[in-house]
Amino acid sequence: MTTTTTTSSTDAPGTSPSGVAGSPPKRNDLPTVRYTMAQMRRSAGRLTAAGIAILIGTAFVAVTLLAGNVITRATYDTIAARYADADVLVTTSGNDWREDVEAVRGTEGVVAADAVRSAYLNLAENGEFAYAEGVARPQDDRLMPLDLTEGKWPSERGEIAVPDGVAERLGVAVGDEIDIHRWVQTDPETGDGEEVSEPVRVVGVTEDPYGAYAASGGAVVATAADIEEWGDEPVPGDPFEIAAVLDPSALAGGEPTQAVRDALNSAVVSDGDHSVVTVDEHAQRVSAERTGGEDLVFLVFVLTFAAVALLVAGLVIANTFQVLVAQRTRTLALLRCIGAGRGQLYRSVLLEAAVLGVLASLGGVLTGVLLAQTALFVAPQFDIGVPLPTIVSLTPQVVLIPLAVGTVVTLVAALAPARNATRVAPLAALRPAETLSVRKGAGRVRAIFSALAVLGGSGLVGLGVYLGADGRVDLGLAATVLGGALSLIGIIVGTVFWLPKVAAFLGAIVARTGPASRLAAANTLRNPRRTSATATALLIGVTLIMTMTTGAAAARSTADSTLDETFPVDIMVMPGSSDVPASAVDDIAGVEAVSTVTEVYAADAELPGGEYLYLQAADIEDLRGTVNDESAADGLEPGTVLLSEGQMENLDLAEGDTVDATGTGGETVPLQVVETSNVGLTSFVTLGDLRRLDPDAALAGVWASLAPEAEPADALADVQDAMSDDGVFVTGPAAQRAQFEQVINVMLGIVVGLLAVAVVIAVIGVANTLSLSVIERRRESATLRAIGLSKSQLRGMLAVEGMLIAGVGAVLGIVLGLAYGWTGALTALSIMGEVSLTVPWLDLGVVLVVAVVAGLVASVAPARSALKASPVEALGAE
Amino acid sequence: MDTTVYVPVDGTRAVRARDLTKTYGSGEAAVHALAGVDVDFAAGEFTAIMGPSGSGKSTLMHLLAGLDTATSGQAFVGTTDVTALNDSALTKLRRDRVGFVFQQFNLLPMFTAEQNITLPVELAGGTVDRQWFGTLVETLGLTERLTHRPAEMSGGQQQRVAIARALIAQPDVVFADEPTGNLDSRSGAEVLSFLRRSVRELGRTIIMVTHDPAAAAYADRVVLLADGRIAGDISDPTPESALAGLDALRTLEPNVSTGTTPVVPGAGAR
Ligand SMILES: Nc1ncnc2c1ncn2[C@@H]1O[C@H](COP(=O)(O)OP(=O)(O)OP(=O)(O)O)[C@@H](O)[C@H]1O
Ligand SMILES: [Mg+2]
Repeated sequence: MTTTTTTSSTDAPGTSPSGVAGSPPKRNDLPTVRYTMAQMRRSAGRLTAAGIAILIGTAFVAVTLLAGNVITRATYDTIAARYADADVLVTTSGNDWREDVEAVRGTEGVVAADAVRSAYLNLAENGEFAYAEGVARPQDDRLMPLDLTEGKWPSERGEIAVPDGVAERLGVAVGDEIDIHRWVQTDPETGDGEEVSEPVRVVGVTEDPYGAYAASGGAVVATAADIEEWGDEPVPGDPFEIAAVLDPSALAGGEPTQAVRDALNSAVVSDGDHSVVTVDEHAQRVSAERTGGEDLVFLVFVLTFAAVALLVAGLVIANTFQVLVAQRTRTLALLRCIGAGRGQLYRSVLLEAAVLGVLASLGGVLTGVLLAQTALFVAPQFDIGVPLPTIVSLTPQVVLIPLAVGTVVTLVAALAPARNATRVAPLAALRPAETLSVRKGAGRVRAIFSALAVLGGSGLVGLGVYLGADGRVDLGLAATVLGGALSLIGIIVGTVFWLPKVAAFLGAIVARTGPASRLAAANTLRNPRRTSATATALLIGVTLIMTMTTGAAAARSTADSTLDETFPVDIMVMPGSSDVPASAVDDIAGVEAVSTVTEVYAADAELPGGEYLYLQAADIEDLRGTVNDESAADGLEPGTVLLSEGQMENLDLAEGDTVDATGTGGETVPLQVVETSNVGLTSFVTLGDLRRLDPDAALAGVWASLAPEAEPADALADVQDAMSDDGVFVTGPAAQRAQFEQVINVMLGIVVGLLAVAVVIAVIGVANTLSLSVIERRRESATLRAIGLSKSQLRGMLAVEGMLIAGVGAVLGIVLGLAYGWTGALTALSIMGEVSLTVPWLDLGVVLVVAVVAGLVASVAPARSALKASPVEALGAE
Repeated sequence: MDTTVYVPVDGTRAVRARDLTKTYGSGEAAVHALAGVDVDFAAGEFTAIMGPSGSGKSTLMHLLAGLDTATSGQAFVGTTDVTALNDSALTKLRRDRVGFVFQQFNLLPMFTAEQNITLPVELAGGTVDRQWFGTLVETLGLTERLTHRPAEMSGGQQQRVAIARALIAQPDVVFADEPTGNLDSRSGAEVLSFLRRSVRELGRTIIMVTHDPAAAAYADRVVLLADGRIAGDISDPTPESALAGLDALRTLEPNVSTGTTPVVPGAGAR
């Protein structure tokens, strides 16, 4: 190596071999660059593995940003699609909109113009309902975004064209007559109104190729007169839009000429603000508004997970560089011996990190773009309802943000290892290789910071739980999340102190299984820092996943008991347009999924204070067999009435009081008040008591429970079918509950999916650590092979090592996740009542198995390279 | 070309090589590390292999022990043809019948002396013969050191642990490649006398590579190697006779240290 002159300030004065007398010392980094590149080539394999971690992280960011772009584009397209081929939008206050439309139509250069009007309609046919937006057929088809697939456009009042989806759902075709239900206000003072229903004829079926009405499931087209009657008058103050198609002479380069703009502006009759904008301008403005709102929330939400993935990637990088520096100790010392300055070594490591960061991030951006493009290719095959762009839009942000983030994360991760490189004493080159090691142990500052963060964080979490139980859920959740994050950071920072002890404990158990396992257990403890850094990377992902699943499990089972009280039975049939007929009981019992049914009777009773109480009753045995919570009917016996806390308060009664109820039959029955928290069973008395109050008490409903294996939504549909002729109202709390659970599951699935990226990166970290250890222990492995370790034992040793590291990370992550999940659930759910803290055994098992198998898989490649090296070669290696 | 087969006068042959060759690389760059070696090593004997640097000593030992594959020829441990074994058979051979002592000690840093010594037996899934273990530890003077880790021991002590590790499975033969290379002369002398005691008192067979004529004098016999061929044999060596043997090789062969001279003029060097 050429003698290098350095100006690094960390060099002790006089020790730097300054240049030849006479020539001023000049800074020359070239040897450093050349040395760095040579080192990188030597460590290419190791760096690649670390680079993949960063690559995945940046790909995640890139895909998220691209998805954001796609959403913005799709939003823009959908908005623009609504105006079809219109050129301009005239927005007015809508006070005199009819005159405005006429004025716009009469403006020079305007070919066609129409008001953008809609009405919400409820279509009914064959017992099915469909809500849809109704839009007026415009004056000119160029203003119509929908295409006709069958029949014709409505031209007379009472004619409609329906979207294909609606036609299918309602089972109607062109020529059929269906009912339109709408709510008509009869008294503007009180807001009272009634539902009216009128028949209309389907004359056409439409499709929505540009997704103009994708959000509302397509639009029903009717004549302008019908829409005007069905819809409300424009709300004063809301912008009223008139879309217009212009004559080519009024357009200059696709834009309306200033003359037309002025003419339109002055044509508006309505008072108040008005504007003339192109459809593009309008779509841009509206989509920008949305992008600043909901879309931003989406971006922030997903990018949070990308940040977790990058944090884990940073750990993997830091670990890799730490090991690389340790492996190069001898070379570094040698360099110091021949005159390299500390600054040069520091810069060399950072340069290496920068090169790695840039290359890996570029790879990540490329991967992200390819993934997003593939998704866009595949997406049209699934019916997602929204037309998506076919090509990803590559904005500078999509490339630059991930690139910058990936490079910075890599650089920051390499800071500590770079500092370690400068600590290598020149003397180290003279010591035998075996005794070399990078500084062990960890600083006191770290210990103190870790302890403070854990204590402070736990305190905050405690406060959060207290606030949650106190009903201040928002504040409580904020405290819990903040405290959880703080304590997790403390735990992560402090893993080096305690994680090796856990590893030692698990290792001692594993070591009993054989000599290879004993070697593996001993190996994981040789380098506590490396083992804990590797396991920590996995711990983060596992902790977050377990937190989510535990929280979801708690929410689910807490909701279960709450739902039992809110929705006491699986299926309820109640009077609708007609009373529940006596035949309903048999009809419902005949449905396959139904296991038991109960007839519920009801009658009004007058209380001494003059209040009326709507009392219900059912056969006590049937009732017990049908309600979800059998014990809910406890306390219901002749002479008692079940009342909720609220009812008791309203009626000024207390548990144990006796109240005299007088029925329409004239008889007075004394009833003792029993409190119930089960919403379904409030106002229940025994059937005998009800009959005494009103011998003619009518059948007020039928309750049914479903067979355990029944699919709630299907069962509900079956019961609805069975009751379709009767005009009764069928609700399915069971289906509602299933839907609720599905929502939890879908959300959980998304979150776990996003977190899984962090776990994948961590597993790469495990593999990387193992490969590095294998390289480091080449001589040792050769020795072991020479004294009789078989190939499969060597493979087994590395497998156990991988599983041990992964297992430690997973076990600790699971424990932490349970703790966080429970405290989170306590904070968020206490308001719903008693929180049941369950252990999601299944999820827990899956996480553990996945982690351990991942550790096993991570050992495959390192084991292969360990076996490839011939014993002789390794014995000779320095 | 030296075709003499050196057969010891008495005793069975623990290790044999027959026309053993090893060539690294090919064409122009080919290095004939071993160019047809025939040699026998008697059981219950302490043999030293000497020769200039690059003469193929380590290579010969690796091939005899089945650590590396020969280009041609055969190597026998007892009656087993090592060159014909597959990996798992070789692993079994190394476990049960062959022991190693390295120049670099090569102890496992995370294990204590005792754990290091018993490791081969454990790897084989066997149980440690405590009596033999006791004998070894006593003979090698390691009783006090059993709970120490390698980092807490001197080089000589580490090498004695390595010797105990090599002997624990009572192998047919122990190979030692410059076992004293990393030791000062006193520790070296200690280790060598332990090796000799293992042969004399414990009845083991040891083949040792060394550069040091004084070390070779501990052996019962010296085999000289030059340029990948057997170049001589000295029985009951003294430091002087071993040095003379080596010197004879040097005078004969000025280029020997490059290891690339294709022909050795003259056969045996005595
Ligand atoms: N892996 C290899 N690739 C190429 N050539 C090799 C390899 N290993 C050894 N050689 C060559 O084979 C020859 C014999 O090497 P060997 O290590 O057996 O010598 P040695 O007698 O043990 O020398 P020393 O006394 O220096 O240890 C040498 O010329 C060496 O350069
Ligand atoms: Mg050698």
